[in-house]
Amino acid sequence: MRTLSLSSRLALLFAGCTAVVSLLAGVLFGRASEVHFMELDQQLMNSRLAVLRSTLQGIDTLEGFTRQLPALRQDLSHQPDLAVRVRGPDGQLWFDSTTRLPTELPTTPGLASLQIDGTHYRVLNPVPDTFNGPQLTVLMDITHHQHFLQRMQHLIWMTVGLSALATALLGAWAARSGLRPLRRMSVIAASVSADSLNARLPQARMPAELADLAKAFNAMLERLDTSFQRLSAFSADIAHELRTPLSNLLTHTQVTLTRPRGIDEYREALHSNLEELQWMAQLVNDMLYLAKADHGLLTPRRELLDVGGEVDALLEFYALLAEDAQIELGRTGYGQVAGDRSMLRRALSNLLDNALRHTPAGGTIAVRLEPTAHSLLITIENTGPGIPAQQMPLLFDRFYRADPARREGSSEHAGLGLAITQSIIRAHGGHIGCESWDGLTRFVIALPFSA
Amino acid sequence: MKLLIVEDQPKTGQYLRQGLSEAGFTTELAADGITGQHLALTGDYSLLILDVMLPGRDGWQILHAVRSAGLDMPVLFLTARDAVEDRVHGLELGADDYLVKPFAFSELLARVRSLLRRGNSTPQDTCLQLADLRLDLIRRRVERNGQRIDLTAKEFALLELLLRRQGEVLPKSLIASQVWDMNFDSDTNVIEVAIRRLRLKVDDPYEDKLIHTVRGMGYVLEERAH
Repeated sequence: MRTLSLSSRLALLFAGCTAVVSLLAGVLFGRASEVHFMELDQQLMNSRLAVLRSTLQGIDTLEGFTRQLPALRQDLSHQPDLAVRVRGPDGQLWFDSTTRLPTELPTTPGLASLQIDGTHYRVLNPVPDTFNGPQLTVLMDITHHQHFLQRMQHLIWMTVGLSALATALLGAWAARSGLRPLRRMSVIAASVSADSLNARLPQARMPAELADLAKAFNAMLERLDTSFQRLSAFSADIAHELRTPLSNLLTHTQVTLTRPRGIDEYREALHSNLEELQWMAQLVNDMLYLAKADHGLLTPRRELLDVGGEVDALLEFYALLAEDAQIELGRTGYGQVAGDRSMLRRALSNLLDNALRHTPAGGTIAVRLEPTAHSLLITIENTGPGIPAQQMPLLFDRFYRADPARREGSSEHAGLGLAITQSIIRAHGGHIGCESWDGLTRFVIALPFSA
Repeated sequence: MKLLIVEDQPKTGQYLRQGLSEAGFTTELAADGITGQHLALTGDYSLLILDVMLPGRDGWQILHAVRSAGLDMPVLFLTARDAVEDRVHGLELGADDYLVKPFAFSELLARVRSLLRRGNSTPQDTCLQLADLRLDLIRRRVERNGQRIDLTAKEFALLELLLRRQGEVLPKSLIASQVWDMNFDSDTNVIEVAIRRLRLKVDDPYEDKLIHTVRGMGYVLEERAH
């Protein structure tokens, strides 16, 4: 079942509240008027009772009463809304002023109400006192009071109904205008698509209650925008990166097949194709690796690693290259972490590989290990021209290369090395950063001792 | 040496078969899991190459059937998925090695040879030799044409690997893994530099070159006619 709209819900709530409040007020008012009428009646009846009693003062026999009856009738004739029952001291019925009185009447002292043939009566039995005479029960017709109360009740119900309706309508209007910022939000949210991720909610113009929501919404759009841009750049890059070797393969193969050639030429063509294919295979493998990392499928094993030893093994591996390029390699410090040996080797080798490519002859590459409270800091530092500040944020992006002109078909990395390194470090719960200024570039990895 | 290839993609199967035949192996090819399992259980093979995803029965099932039947020939898996679970699953079931597509054929060939060698362990040689090149494992000395050659530890290890597997094309990744214990896809030219250095000492001063580059595939140590 669909939930009610906020506006309808608010309108109904408003209406309900008004109805309850006005109903309560009505009930209270009704009750107060009734009490007021009762007091009025009591006063009136007490005074009438006094008149009647004065007439019947001292009478204690039926004969005496019969003598006084004309006087009583005289008294009653002035008050047509009054009825009276007279009983002797022994409780025997002496007289009813009207024949309509039922045989049973309330006899408890005080005020009571009674309905006889559709007419409402107030019944008064005097409190037992020193009065010397017959027992009197006075009844008074209060139909006009009842009519008044009934009219008032109708009025109350009408007020309740009308005010509820009015507040419902007004509430709906108020809710609609109060919720306008939300609608604006939804219009913007509805307009968001892959092409228009740059839409933002006017946060400053939002009411306080919605400002946080707007902020969160904008932040979400921001993140979506960034990752979407990266993703589309990534897809475009993949297509571009694959297109070059593919078109080389196509052209070369077609040209080779256009006419008969010598065996050496065929061999040469195959070799050339092989190079392109190997490059593509490497690219696809790297991309799959990154895709796995993106999906959280890169789960490092946790074995205790002597990072110093691992770095030494890597430095030994790269020693020949460094020697060739006249670069000095060195490590200082020790440290252990729980991590995946081959993954960390891969991460570090990408950094070393990178450093070797960017260090000029005569430079140095220094690896420093430095345990801190919770993590091991691994610093890889190389001399050479620094990385321009504007390239820093892009450094770990896929396919990012400091020099776009480099590589077309060379055996170099397709610019995925640093992205892979970052994925591996993140999979270990660590993080990697880079700082660079003229003459020095430094990558710093913080690897937590345990995940 | 008879090998069985179970691979449902016809092109891949054909090329594997051709490559392995030309490398001197007798090969049979099954294109689906059921035929593959039947052949694996009845034919007398020295090694199985199984694709994981197969029609009929998958590679795991064939492996299970083979091991249940008490056959212990080495099994090499080919898979398009580089999932850790796959690897663990395969190793638990008794697979011996594992290659993720796309792989280099030279890599496959090197692994196949390693697996086959593992089975019949020959007594450890004390001396490896090709033409006039001698490598003495006990005294850790290398001589060519009677002249002593001084090698660093890594150069010695590299030459030992080339000599032990003379005639085989060794891909760079295999060399990196065997000599430096580096098992990641390294596309640096460390191996090129190492080979160049080794050549400088072992080949350059002599008329007959023994270390050869096979473009795009790796390096091979062998005597070649001029």
